[in-house]
Amino acid sequence: MLNNAFSICRLRAAVHYTVACLCEEVAEDKEIHFSKQAIAAISEITFRQCDTFAQDLERFAKHAKRITIKPEDVKLLSRRSNSLLKYITQKSEELTLKKTEEKAKKKKTSSRTSDEHVGPAAADSEDSNMA
Amino acid sequence: MEKRDGSSYVFKKETVNKLLQRHFKDDKTQVSDDALLLVAELLKVFVREAAARGARQAQAEDLTRVDVEHVEKVLPQLLLDF
Repeated sequence: MLNNAFSICRLRAAVHYTVACLCEEVAEDKEIHFSKQAIAAISEITFRQCDTFAQDLERFAKHAKRITIKPEDVKLLSRRSNSLLKYITQKSEELTLKKTEEKAKKKKTSSRTSDEHVGPAAADSEDSNMA
Repeated sequence: MEKRDGSSYVFKKETVNKLLQRHFKDDKTQVSDDALLLVAELLKVFVREAAARGARQAQAEDLTRVDVEHVEKVLPQLLLDF
């Protein structure tokens, strides 16, 4: 029970830290300052918004008779705003493109040393090839 | 927290996973890797939107400091938009 409360605290702290960094970025853009309370309020809002997101995502996955949440579910989550949907769809396409590229590279890298784009996964496969 | 794309901060994947996992009714529910990255992206947009709208509200009131009251004022529309 205590352990659980502790992990929630840590999670809140992690969210608060990232929110503070993001607010700092916006503050620089708009040449304005954020009070500490305002940042705390935004991080609390984000933390609670995650409840709704998680429940929606779980229901979307369940509706598709899956137990794993897929990118399509996240796209459905962003349906309320057109530009947001466009942005998320674009990001999702970038991710799949990256993945297929990595796969293609993995096949080629058997002769080459580790490629920075492919990272540790490729290094592992090379090790296993040598063994 | 990590700095991806060289320009903007994004939530860590583990953080997003823990945030989501807390509220799942079914313990068996899992989140795929790509979905985690997309949720992190979505949360980033959410936070930046909240900050930007708060900033605009403060600027409309001719202030240079965003306070809780400004965030409070933009909160309803923000939640309707997400």
